[in-house]
Amino acid sequence: MTVDRRAYLDVHVIQTVPPANLNRDDQGNPKEAYFGGVRRARVSSQAWKRATRTELASHVPELERGTRTKRIAAELASRLGRTGVDGEQAQRLASFLLAPLGIKAGKKAGDTAYLLFYGHRQLEDVVDLVAHRAPELAALDDDALTTAVKDLAVVDKLKTGHPMEVALFGRMVADIASLNVDASVQVAHALSTHPVELEFDYYTAVDDQNLADETGAGMIGDIGFNSATLYRYATVGLHQLHANLTDTDAALTAAAAFVRDFARSMPTGYQNAFAHRTLPSMVAVMVRTEQPVNLVSAFEEPVTVTDGIAAASAVRLAEEYQRITNAWGGAPVHTAVCHTFDEKSPAAGRIREILGAASPFPQLTEGLAGPLAAAMGWDRTA
Amino acid sequence: MTTPPTGGGRAVLLLRLAGPLQSWGDRSAFNRRETRPEPTKSGVIGLLAAAQGRAREDDITDLLQVRLGVRVDQPGTLLRDFHTVSDYRGRPLLQAGVSAKGVQKPTSPAKNTHVTQRFYLQDAVFLVAVEGPEALVTALHDAVRNPAFPLALGRRSCVPTQPLALKPHTGDLDTALRETPWQASEHARSLHCRRTGTRPARIDLAATVDDPDGNDVLADVPQSFDPRRRAFTNRTVRHTWLSVPTDIPNPDPPDDTDAGHDPFVLLGW
Repeated sequence: MTVDRRAYLDVHVIQTVPPANLNRDDQGNPKEAYFGGVRRARVSSQAWKRATRTELASHVPELERGTRTKRIAAELASRLGRTGVDGEQAQRLASFLLAPLGIKAGKKAGDTAYLLFYGHRQLEDVVDLVAHRAPELAALDDDALTTAVKDLAVVDKLKTGHPMEVALFGRMVADIASLNVDASVQVAHALSTHPVELEFDYYTAVDDQNLADETGAGMIGDIGFNSATLYRYATVGLHQLHANLTDTDAALTAAAAFVRDFARSMPTGYQNAFAHRTLPSMVAVMVRTEQPVNLVSAFEEPVTVTDGIAAASAVRLAEEYQRITNAWGGAPVHTAVCHTFDEKSPAAGRIREILGAASPFPQLTEGLAGPLAAAMGWDRTA
Repeated sequence: MTTPPTGGGRAVLLLRLAGPLQSWGDRSAFNRRETRPEPTKSGVIGLLAAAQGRAREDDITDLLQVRLGVRVDQPGTLLRDFHTVSDYRGRPLLQAGVSAKGVQKPTSPAKNTHVTQRFYLQDAVFLVAVEGPEALVTALHDAVRNPAFPLALGRRSCVPTQPLALKPHTGDLDTALRETPWQASEHARSLHCRRTGTRPARIDLAATVDDPDGNDVLADVPQSFDPRRRAFTNRTVRHTWLSVPTDIPNPDPPDDTDAGHDPFVLLGW
């Protein structure tokens, strides 16, 4: 990869979660890790990435999103309908169009052997390639059709523009390495900023129909849980995102969508038992042109205050940022912060002093496109 | 920041590998992904290649000429991560094995959740020294400070903390490992002082260095990161102990009475 300009978008989140079991191990207990010599709550990166992706899927327009489908040929055939060919003709044309890709056919007719993660947009692009002469192509015999589609840029269409989810989270096809896409997002395991002990909720369930005969419980059990203020970190390589999407506007949209959905998503483990859906206390975003900087070292010495852990953690984060920037240079080209602390509180004052005035979250995500485009040297059409 | 390359000397790149989690696998694949207790050569070369923006298929022979030394500043402990994989639409997963056509088949009977075990080192700090031609070391140092890909400590979710690249050393590898102060966290330092009841000026740390006359062989030298041509060869290493300055303020005066070997030090007694 030859890259002239690079930009990393760092996302730092401080989020308080009430008693919950977001992400459990094989004992059914919340995951943990030791850091700075003390036990912490942990939520694995894979768990939060899945939550982010699900959140993204719930409100990004379908055309941008792409679907992981085994039925790319059937999908393409149905889309060919708008060019005036349908039924068997469309299926035949679709399979010929996809033949140069070299994907092996699956067992069922129309299935490919892999879960392919193509965008709807890419399939539409392939349809566009033949839109003006689809009936004419469909009328050709096998040999003539093979020759006719050979020079179409089907493979390029499918290889260059990757849908948002693939562009962010990557794709791997085990035996066609050329279809692999390197992820542009890196997500760290979320860790609590303070020491956390595992606790157990012992519960009994009573039988509602058993009114008089027996006084015992219908069943008993226990659920491991903890509550924590988490530090969550992710970084997006804008240059990689752009290389995956091949479009500057799409890259800026995807970066903002990732920030929004990473911040707002929540793993669903034991959701009905704990109703733990919270929103972050603080989100800080930084656009950097040198290297991404994870600030978890702010919490290597655990936060030990007994009240206002979130505010203390947010201040720690800001101060660590200041220390690292003073010691190593390389200040971000853009910083924005959103938090829910009282503007008159000392914590809010300290954050304002170091990271600047807080802005509402929608404004924070909308304000990313300008600095990101500037860092990458892009002209913005919008 | 950038020092221009000055001729054919040797230099040493110093990396402080620290973060909540690290994972340095060498031979595990599929369901059980283990970690070595120390960073592997393939992991370190992969990190450097990623910093330079090399694609997996790119040639790495120039990086293989480096000599590697790893010092264990804070060994950390082992973390086992239970990880499940499932298709979010509820469809059965594919088998690990392939048919005669080289195609993955769906599991039969249908299996919806796949369990994998991933091992990490938690709360560990390593000092890694990479000795090579001065021009290469300078280029690598610049690359690590301006990486093309986000860097990771063996696995993508293991994000390093700063500072990652220390100032390059102009001497040889062994001197660099011996002279660079102890990089352990504040917590590990105070714990050491409390446990031993001392404020030592120096500490003995384990190290593993590339050495053709060494007494151990590690099979972690990558030939290529191309997914279709992954292969590893051996390197001969020497395991050793180094006496390293701790940089603890107001240290105890050197203790001349106890010059002999004390095996219990290793146990922290």
